[in-house]
Amino acid sequence: MTGSFAQVFFLAFFGAAAVWFGIVVFRTHSMVRSAIALLFSQTAVGVMFLLMQAEFLGVLQIMMMATEMSVMAIFMVMFMMDPGGMGAMEMTHQKRLSLWAGGIGLVGALAVIWLAEWGPVALSVPAAADQTADLGRELLGRSMFIFQSAGLTILTAMVAATMVAIAPDEERRQ
Amino acid sequence: MIPELIIALSAGAAMFGVGLYGALSQTNLVMIIMGVELILAAALVNLVAFWRYLHPGEPAGQMFVLIVMAVMAVEMAVGFGIAIARFRSRGSVEMEEARELKG
Amino acid sequence: MTMLALTLLAPLLAALMILVLRRWSAALALVGAGLGLAGSLGLFAIAAGGAAVTATLPFLPDLPIRLIAGPLTATLSLVVATVAAMVLTYGVGYMARDPERPRFFATMLFFVSAMQLLGLAGDWITLLAAWEMIGFSSYLLIGFWHGRDGVASAATRAFLYTRSADLGLYIGAFVLIGAAGTSEISATLATTGTPALIAGLLLLVAAMGKSAQVPLQNWLMRAMAGPTPVSALLHSATLVAAGAILLIRTAPMLPGGALLAIGIVGGVTAVIAGLIALAERDLKRLLAASTSSQYGLMLVAIGAGAPVAALLHLIAHAAIKSALFLGAGIFQHDRDSTGLEALAGAGRARPGIFAGFAIAALALAGIPPLAGFFSKDAIIAATLESPASPWLVPLTLAGSVLTGAYMGRVLRALWSGPVVSALPRIPFMAAGMGVLVALAAAVGLGFAPLEHLLEAEMAEAGLIVPVLGLVAGIGGLALGWFIAPARLLGPLAASAQNGFVVAGGMDGLILRPALMIAAACEAFEQRLLAAQIGLIRGVGLGIARVVDRGDVALVALSLWIGRQSLQLGRGARSTDTNTIDAAIFGLVRRTIAAGARARRLQSGFIHRELALTFAGIALVIGVLLAAPYIL
Repeated sequence: MTGSFAQVFFLAFFGAAAVWFGIVVFRTHSMVRSAIALLFSQTAVGVMFLLMQAEFLGVLQIMMMATEMSVMAIFMVMFMMDPGGMGAMEMTHQKRLSLWAGGIGLVGALAVIWLAEWGPVALSVPAAADQTADLGRELLGRSMFIFQSAGLTILTAMVAATMVAIAPDEERRQ
Repeated sequence: MIPELIIALSAGAAMFGVGLYGALSQTNLVMIIMGVELILAAALVNLVAFWRYLHPGEPAGQMFVLIVMAVMAVEMAVGFGIAIARFRSRGSVEMEEARELKG
Repeated sequence: MTMLALTLLAPLLAALMILVLRRWSAALALVGAGLGLAGSLGLFAIAAGGAAVTATLPFLPDLPIRLIAGPLTATLSLVVATVAAMVLTYGVGYMARDPERPRFFATMLFFVSAMQLLGLAGDWITLLAAWEMIGFSSYLLIGFWHGRDGVASAATRAFLYTRSADLGLYIGAFVLIGAAGTSEISATLATTGTPALIAGLLLLVAAMGKSAQVPLQNWLMRAMAGPTPVSALLHSATLVAAGAILLIRTAPMLPGGALLAIGIVGGVTAVIAGLIALAERDLKRLLAASTSSQYGLMLVAIGAGAPVAALLHLIAHAAIKSALFLGAGIFQHDRDSTGLEALAGAGRARPGIFAGFAIAALALAGIPPLAGFFSKDAIIAATLESPASPWLVPLTLAGSVLTGAYMGRVLRALWSGPVVSALPRIPFMAAGMGVLVALAAAVGLGFAPLEHLLEAEMAEAGLIVPVLGLVAGIGGLALGWFIAPARLLGPLAASAQNGFVVAGGMDGLILRPALMIAAACEAFEQRLLAAQIGLIRGVGLGIARVVDRGDVALVALSLWIGRQSLQLGRGARSTDTNTIDAAIFGLVRRTIAAGARARRLQSGFIHRELALTFAGIALVIGVLLAAPYIL
């Protein structure tokens, strides 16, 4: 099936792209480049969503990630010692352990993926408009409670973050 | 065995591994958050793949993705708030120096 | 009845009062004796009138106490009461300076009561009881001055001799009671045949003991160690009379064989005792031997079949001998001794007393018209009549001759010797003796009425009797007065002086065996006791030893248990410390160590914690995935 072939190809391409950019995040010394790399990685993920005909989610991902990564870039510049990465300082610790952990995680997941019986493939996907409408109905119907609590959680988190971030008055005056 | 599913899942697995490596190996808090972002992205990929290739009729799959995205956003917000506070008090967000929670 | 009570109880109550009050003993004694005499006179008067006073007092079942005051017993009671009254009067003077007077008078009065009971007894049990009591009081009275040498042994000897002879009385009495079926004496006198003979012989044995017949005569002579009033009352007139009284009362029952034995014993005694009296050097002992001899004559009379003659001689002898003893006592007071050599001439110093003494002596020898003449003649007459006259007559005559001989000797000894003047007055003693002398002289006149009263008149025996009696009496007196006793006795002198001791005498036959038996019993008892004690001791010790061993074993056991418990305890403790404690503390230490090690996980580093989180998640996922395959 050519459609599936195309899908396979592009999926592989953008998947690899996501992975590669993810690696770049941690290999580069420049902070801004890390942030940009992460941006690209997330964007690739969003494209993958689009490829998998989850259009709403894909658009959402790209938009969100773009914004988030920008913010992150700013923060990076704020907090990093060497945002430009001109200094060649080793910024990692427990490297071997991390490598092993990453490796094990990768291998384990791959083992599951490759060895599991995933069952028959579903071929027909609802149209995007239908998807979104169903999603909306789902949100405001069955999963209303979940999203209400999620919304509350987000609000709480925002308030908390703001509280944490804002310094007390006497410290600000100093 | 659908190639698309396998590929998507494999990509997700690889992203997960890289993200894990990063979360564990980075000294800076922001880098750690980036690693966690990667892990979450991998999870999202998995979710969408499963939805698309195994249960496309279920809107619950997409809803789950929305939840994860919300979690990502919240986590970043709170994380950066903490980073600011820490930076303000210590002057850096290097995790090597953060031993306050030592038991 | 009142007369009976007066006779018996007046002396007894007087004795009790003396014992309680311990003063006015002489006055109380005289009052008691006087009242007793009055009662006895009353009884005699009643009996002389023909009636007999009887009394029956309840005692054991079928064995009541019977008292009877018939002619015979009333006469005896009168004799006893009279002599007792006179002797007690005499005793007031004799014991005037003795500090133990209350005891003396009390015991004498007790004896008088007991003797009256014996005389008035109507049944065998009472008689036996009275017999015992007079023996006991004799012992007390002989041993009155028990602090002096020889007195206690004399009293014991007298008691043992008479006691051993009393066995005859006991057995004889029970034979009679068994034969007759009742204890009343007059009823038992109907016994005949073999029981009568046996009883008669046994009663003779008892009489031999009490009346000091051969071979039991020695105790009487030794009994002279007591005070003279005692000798005068007991050992001349009353106690020794008990034997004769016994035989006189049972005379109707005695068969011919018993009578013969009685006569022979009496005759032999009369001669032998007379010889002993002749050889004696002590006045009182002489008089004691004379008493034995005279009672021998009385037994001859009984043996000859004339108890009345014996009774008459008993009455006469009572007055005579007690008078003689009282005189001897007066001389003893003067010279502080009773030896004939010491008393030489004592009679001449007191002519009045000597006159009385002489009258009594002549009466004893049988000189008319004194009492002894009549009674002696009665005996001689009876012996002439009896079937055993070939034996009895010579013995009687010999006895009479000897009587005269020793009396003559005494008179001569008392008369010839140095005279000591200025002797103290003795009103009481003289009064007592005087009355008895008068009786000795005059009582012979009452013999005929007495015979009539007793319905036992003696047949007239012809002139031969008084002639024989006079010849014997005067001849004897002359022999005694003029010839020294050693010459008279000749070859018999030495033996006579020893009292004709044969085969160790009564000492060897009775006294020493009795004492040896007593010692043997004592030793046996001691051995029994020791054996008992030894047995008990052995048993006790054995038990104690066994118990001790058991105790030791118990102790060892408990120690072992203790040690085991200690071991157990130590084992428990070691288990506790080594295993349980070790385990617990080891667990604790390891938990702490584990905790310390776990603490290192809390490094505080985010990256480490992240790594751990990842490891934990991987583990959980692994378990979840593997679970279906494992479980």
